[in-house]
Amino acid sequence: MCIPNRIKFLVFAVLIVFTAVILAETMVVKVQTTNLKKEPKFFADTITVLKMGESVETISLQNGWFNVKTSSGQIGWLHSSALMEKKSGFSVLTSSVSTQASGEEVALAAKGFNKQVEEKYKADNPNIDFTWVDKMLKIKVSTKEIAEFLKKGKLAESGGAR
Amino acid sequence: MKNRHWFLMAASLIVLSLLVTACSSMGSLSDLTGKAEGVAAAAQKANKVRQSFADITEEEEYYIGRAVSALILSKYPVYQNETFTGYVNLLGNAVALYSDRPETYAGYHFLVLDTDEVNAMAAPGGFIFLTKGLIKKCRNEEMLASVLAHEVGHVSAKHGLKSIKKSRLIEAFGILGQEAAKRFAPEELDKLTEIFENVLGDVAESLIERGYDRKYEYEADQLSLHILSSTGYNPYGLLDFLGTLTPDASSGPAQGWFKTHPSAQDRMSRVQKELNSMTQAASTESARTSRFSQYMKLLK
Repeated sequence: MCIPNRIKFLVFAVLIVFTAVILAETMVVKVQTTNLKKEPKFFADTITVLKMGESVETISLQNGWFNVKTSSGQIGWLHSSALMEKKSGFSVLTSSVSTQASGEEVALAAKGFNKQVEEKYKADNPNIDFTWVDKMLKIKVSTKEIAEFLKKGKLAESGGAR
Repeated sequence: MKNRHWFLMAASLIVLSLLVTACSSMGSLSDLTGKAEGVAAAAQKANKVRQSFADITEEEEYYIGRAVSALILSKYPVYQNETFTGYVNLLGNAVALYSDRPETYAGYHFLVLDTDEVNAMAAPGGFIFLTKGLIKKCRNEEMLASVLAHEVGHVSAKHGLKSIKKSRLIEAFGILGQEAAKRFAPEELDKLTEIFENVLGDVAESLIERGYDRKYEYEADQLSLHILSSTGYNPYGLLDFLGTLTPDASSGPAQGWFKTHPSAQDRMSRVQKELNSMTQAASTESARTSRFSQYMKLLK
């Protein structure tokens, strides 16, 4: 039997794409907000800001950065420390006691030690003052300021791994 | 390409695809089942999977960190100098970016405490405190960066959460697993808040009173060296800083850092060993030392 090379190539291409699509994994943003970057580094331009609970499809992983596709179809890079796994076909087979969270589990986790518990704790402990904790959280440092700080201090190149 | 080879490769790809599809289907199937069982069943599932500190979510870690910070701030006054605090936040965020955990729920935030006691503390989630007394021990930016990187290391490795007694978490996860409502019923809230207070007690005791387990301090030192090196700082800054921590025999009982950390000599010998195994270290740049000196003039 002789199969033309063109057909062989086509079948291979379809199979490879099919396998890649299946291997793509859904991950969820686990921090308050995170920046979708144009390149796998913090100092790269920001495409958009993603919020906690938003899902993304991962395409590849490079030095701790996931190349992802957002639900609105934007493609960019997110650092792995901002993401958690939502579901993986492989994990079903490899781990019966998985720490990965499904959609329902994420919702439940959000009602763990949360704002409601903090409010009750504050009411029970009026002597514990959160004023400076809130002030502390308002101190913001941008990646642009960090890049400038590093440059002036002759530290890591802003175009480096970060 | 010979047809035999082609068939073999195509067959392999098909088998791989089918295997992965099967695995994914199992996942989808369990999802569907989960939905059919309803939220209560999902709650039970969550209860099963949440067992240890590693299962604490980023948001929970943030709320634990907030309350632990409030406890720290109930013991120490804040040093209020916006410019100096800004410098510490720039430096701290710069080294955090080169850690294993550059992103936390609400990011890294740093405050200076207005006391001559020599101390630094990292609450879960990225709330980091260092005293004026400790900063005054630093002679250059590398030394200050080494302390901040050590504290970022504690956050990155979740040492605060590891100090929570497992029984408290199992109890809390038990309550969370039983109830599927969006808000807690009053008696559940009471119980959960009581556990929350005990959790804070565990973390605060480690941070303020007892200190972390020695192995966590050694690990934070090691992380500090690697963060410093990745950021471009001279990692010998940590060794220099530890060299300043010889307790003064005349000062009475050990306070702050001296009470909560292993002896400086012990840490120095471990740090030296690690430094010996590291490749080429960056030198201490005068540009950094000069800006450090400028900022130090603000510290009163």
